[in-house]
This record gives sequence, C-alpha cells and structure tokens, in this order.
Amino acid sequence: MAMSEFGIVYAVHIITVQFGSVVSKVCECLLRKGPLSSRDISRLAESDINHNQVKDILYLLIQHNCVQAFSIEPPDGSENKAIVQYIVLFNNILHRVRYNKFSRLVNEELGTECGAVLDGLLSNGRLTLGQLIERDRDSGKTIGSEAIRDSLQKLVAARFVERIPSPEPVLGNKEQEPAKKRGAKAAKILKEPETLEERVVEAATPVDAIRFPLIFEEDANSSLAVDDSNITEGKRKQRDVDSSDPSSGVIWRPNFEEFIHRLRHKACVEIVKERRDEGCAIVLRAMLEVGRSQEKKVKTDNSAPMSIGSIYEEVIKTEAGRTMLQERVEACLDQLSATSSYLPAFVTEMNDSYIVDFKSIISVAQKDEIEAVVMRRYGKEAFRMFRYLSQEGRFVETDKIADAALTEKKDTPQFLLKMWKDGYLHMQKLAITGTYVPFLLWKVNKLIVTRQMLDEMYHASLNLNLRLAHELESEKELLMLPSDKLEGPLKERVKKVKAKRLLLSSTMFKLDDAIMLFHDF
Amino acid sequence: MSKRKRPDPKSPGGDLNEPHEKKLLDLIRINQGRGATMFELKREKTIPATIVTRLIASLRKKNLIKEVANMNNKGVKHYLAMEFEPCSELTGGEWYTDGALDLSKIEDLKAKCVMILERHRQRVVTLEVLCGYFVKEEKLSVDQTKEILKNLILDNLIMEVKSNGMNEFASTRIGEVCYRLTGKKSGNGEPRAGAFASIPCGVCPHIAICSPDGVISPTTCVYFQKWLDF
Repeated sequence: MAMSEFGIVYAVHIITVQFGSVVSKVCECLLRKGPLSSRDISRLAESDINHNQVKDILYLLIQHNCVQAFSIEPPDGSENKAIVQYIVLFNNILHRVRYNKFSRLVNEELGTECGAVLDGLLSNGRLTLGQLIERDRDSGKTIGSEAIRDSLQKLVAARFVERIPSPEPVLGNKEQEPAKKRGAKAAKILKEPETLEERVVEAATPVDAIRFPLIFEEDANSSLAVDDSNITEGKRKQRDVDSSDPSSGVIWRPNFEEFIHRLRHKACVEIVKERRDEGCAIVLRAMLEVGRSQEKKVKTDNSAPMSIGSIYEEVIKTEAGRTMLQERVEACLDQLSATSSYLPAFVTEMNDSYIVDFKSIISVAQKDEIEAVVMRRYGKEAFRMFRYLSQEGRFVETDKIADAALTEKKDTPQFLLKMWKDGYLHMQKLAITGTYVPFLLWKVNKLIVTRQMLDEMYHASLNLNLRLAHELESEKELLMLPSDKLEGPLKERVKKVKAKRLLLSSTMFKLDDAIMLFHDF
Repeated sequence: MSKRKRPDPKSPGGDLNEPHEKKLLDLIRINQGRGATMFELKREKTIPATIVTRLIASLRKKNLIKEVANMNNKGVKHYLAMEFEPCSELTGGEWYTDGALDLSKIEDLKAKCVMILERHRQRVVTLEVLCGYFVKEEKLSVDQTKEILKNLILDNLIMEVKSNGMNEFASTRIGEVCYRLTGKKSGNGEPRAGAFASIPCGVCPHIAICSPDGVISPTTCVYFQKWLDF
C-alpha cells in the first residue's frame, strides 16, 4: 500500500524521537522521494547535511533495519556502473513502537533468557553472537555465554531471529525483459506486480537454510561484527556485512515477519473468542498451531487443510483443551463454519478437511473498527446507511438508501455527503434526461475506506505521542522530585500525571493493534 | 339543433370536449400510480403543448384526474387518474404519513421486535412467528415486518440465521429463516467500542485540519483536555 501523508509524518516522528532530527531528515527524504543514492539524498534533504554525514546516517538506519541498500543492473552493453541506492523500509520503522509486544511474545513462548537476547537485538538492530555475549557480560544480570548461545539458537529455530539480509542485492533490469503477450486468463493467474520495495527485500533475503541455520558454525568468541565484502577499488561500501570471512561472526537481527505472523494468529484467536466463545478460540488456536509451518507468507488468506484428527491431537496438548472431547471440538468446528447475517464463516470444511479463513476473520474485525467510527462520528442513521452500502457492494441511489435505512428522504443526502467528504464513501453523479437534478449514487469502497482510516490512525498515534510528551514536559520538574517526599496537592498532581501517562500509553498500545489489523494483517 | 354532444353515459364526470383530452387522460392512466408531470405531458408530441394546461384543468374539473405533490420535490405535481392511489415514489412509502416519515412508529415497532427476541434469548424466533405477531397485533403487512427486521439487522441489534435443525434451532425446520439478538458483543455485554473510535481523534470532526503545529493541534486540543480530565 502506498504511504499516506500521516504515515510518513508518523514514521518521521518515530525516527526523530529515537535518533534525532538530522537522521529523520534523511529518512523523510527517502520516504517522500523514494529510493535515492547517497549523493541525491545530500542534495535533496531539507537540511545542510554533507555527503559523509549522509553515509553515516544511512549506515545507522541500515544497522537498525530501517533502510536497505540495493542497486539495479545496468542495461546490457552499458559501461555505467550500478549506482547504489537506498530504500526506506516503512514497515520496519513502525515496528519500532511495538518492540514490547515482540518481547512479550518471546518471553511467553521461550522464556526470559531468550527475551533478554531478543531485547539486545531489538535495541541494537543487529549483533553477532560475540557481541551478544559481550553485552551480557557488561550488564548487571549476566546469564553466561552458554545460555546466550542456547537462547540465540532457540530464537533462530523459532524464526524470531534471522541472519541479516544481503547488504546490497542487485536487481535485474526490468526494462530488459522481453514483453510477453499475455491473454486474459494468463494475466489472472499471474500474481500482482511487486513493488520495488518487495523486489529489493526479496532479492536481499537469503534462502531459509542460510537465513535460519540449524547449526551455528561461527566462533562464539568473535566480537567483531564488521568486515568488508563487496570491496572494489579498495573502497569500503558497507560496514555491517555478513561475509564469508571466518574471522567475523554471523550477524543476527530480529525477524519482524515472524513476529507479525504470530501476532496475526493471536489476533485471530482473540477475534474468534470475542465473537464466538472460549471453546471455539481453543480449537482455532490449535488449528493455527497445526498449519503454521506450512504458511509461506504472513498475509495468507487461508491455512493449509487439516483433518479433525490432527486438530484434536493439538487441542488436547494445551492446558485449556486437555479435557475437551472430540464431539465438543466437532461442535466448535460447526460453529466456526456457520454463517449468519452477523458473522461469516471463519472455517471452511472441504472433503473432511478444515481450512482457517484468515481473510474472513480479519475482515470481521476491520469491519467492526470502521463501523464503530462511523457510528460515533456520524450517528446511527449514517451507521445503518454505511452498513447497507457495505452489504450491497455496489452503487446505490440516494432514495433507495433512505428506504433501506428508514430515514427521511430529505435528510439522507446530508449524512451521505458528510461521510463522502471525509473519504468514507464513494460518490458518482448520474444525469438522466428528463430529470431535474442528477441522481447521486453511493458506494462503500473498502480499499479507499481502509486507506483513509489507516491515515487517520497514523495521525491519531502521532497525536497521542505528542500529547504524552507535552503532558510529561509540562510536569517535568515535579516528576524529577522523589515521590515519597511529596504530600498533599503535589502528590495528587503526580498521581494525575502518572494516570494520564498510563491512559495515553495504553491507548497507543491498543491503537497500534488496530493499525496492525489494517496494515500488517 | 344543438351542436353540443350528448354526455357519454359510460364516462364518469362528463363528456370529453377535445379530441386530445381523451388522449391525455389515457397517457395519465397508463402511468397508473405514478401519473405524469406537466413537463412530461407537454413533451408528448401527439398533443400540442400549448393546450395541455387547459386540458389538465378541464380533466380536474371533471374529476377524472387529481393532483399529487411529489414528496421528494414538493414543487413538482403529478397528475393521476382518479382510480389510482399514488405510488410509494410519490408518497414516500408505507412508513410515510403526509410526506413525513413516522419515526416514532418505526422505533416503537423495532423495540417490540427486540423485546420478543429478548424473551427467547436462548433460542431463535422464526420469521413466520414474527410476521404472525406483527400482522395480527400491529396491523403491518409481511413486507413491512421484513423491513423492520432488515432495519434492525442494519442497526446490528439482531441477526438473520438459517436453521440447521440442531441445538437452539431444535424446534425449527432445516433451512427456515430465523432471527436472534446479536447478543454479547464484548466481554461486559457492551457494544464493541473500537480502538480508534474510543479516542478523541477517532470521532473528531476536525481531524482533517489538525496538525502538530496548527491552530488545532494535539497539545492544544480541547477534546484531548476533556478526555484527560478525570
């Protein structure tokens, strides 16, 4: 999805808070102008940053996985060298505000030692095993190099941690590919064209055997992350490089894809628990566990098919599902497969196999979020109209909407116009000969609504951040005083500031879940 | 000898003087409950536009046609043959009285429907039973009952399900259309608030003009102030 204005502003704010405004200027330049070479960045960035500073900033952003370098193969026969360009990884910038969610996942699933190793990688961006051991040695609560090594292996085995990608993948020149004549059928089977970011990330990602090695070969005592590969003409191109030089260690980083994958599954279980019941949630959790390893990408629409036997086997492994009989599991599967005007099916049954319909589960939660905004912002009449148009899925004329929503015909246009003005409805005018005024037709376009809501959610996230900073800044001196020495009104004021901080932080946490629901899941 | 024609004993209300008058009346009759507007009648090529107004007045005087205002556009008059009732396009429909929607009646009917479903919370209520009640007790038509139910579905208060003959559908035929309350939406029985809708920005009418350094900004926002004033 293309970046929206407040998506960019929010991402720039995240980088500014964590790395300062000079770094964020470089980031903003890439966000607004697309992939650029370092020379172009120093020319176009809205600050006086010289070329060497730009390079250092880019290394920092690469270290923290916010930028990826790449080059495009020059055309055949051309004598030009491939120019290295840098592309910003918008998703990874947003992930920076949800590191505590990633930490919690690992602490729950693999324990606190793995959690500590992950925290090291999250705060430093990328480290070798040697650096992780050194970090542990310097910390207050050391757990020992063996424990660090074991934890890292567990994290890699669970795919929470990966080997860093190729520092400078070379993309084939797309213009050189011969134009193939494709029929309509072939065009439908082919997948949608990839964005440049997707191509770069795919080209940089090593195969699974290298990305998640089963056996760690490198020397655990090596504390140097730095080596140079791609050295040409004696110049260093990159600092952080995974090289084949045996004196350097493999460099590791968090695998955000897997975290989002797990959070998506968690969200689906919560959605089902709220809308069905605990039993259905237990069965769904088991199904997700069964099918997880076969899912090739995060945003997969459906799980792999699975039998009742494999589902039941997984259910009874869990503490909550230990006492469930197979009949109960089958009853839950029937419930999950049922449809009504209220809920679609979450599971599809096909030839004695069951498939989880992720798209259906996620869309129910997205619909609830959108409709909650429509209800609170525009009122219950507009809510009925919006739901009617969502169900119809096509253009409908104003009077018909009024009839369906049982609203006054003369009042209906104002509700529809308000929603249209804010980007929640699509409108078309239809002039018919013989009528005095053109017909207005209305439609809910889910893609447009989703984009609009996402942009508003980024805006709201930014606002919550800014407000929190403002609240803390305005009571900065008070908060510096030792709280046990405070009494009376001052103590009350501190309590109030802390309560505001808690409310704003927890709201940002929940809003980020909603952002993931629309952007990542 | 009188040149006046004798009145036709078969036609109600008197004779049709002009040859075009009958044509005009036929044109209006064809459109039944929708009738025709002056604009549409004047566009008719078979009748000279200049005499349409006089013919309309004559037909009205003879009680052969009536004038009905279009409730969507009160300035536009439709002419209907006397034997036809105005269609819902002109009156607004069965829920309209004198051009206004009977909102209190609709809300009252919806509340009664929800009460019936609340009494049968553990089971479902069939469409047949609901139609039976509303037709008998509230004098609605089957179509009107269905409209009330559809409206409650749009309110997200009830849901339509098809019976599978088991559990809560035990006393219904398989495939029968039934209704139940959407029931508990979130843990405490309240409608799901929505993460974005629960914060000031989610419902703010000025979000489009809000910016970090603008006149409306998160640090100066009055909605934020109220929200944090607990």
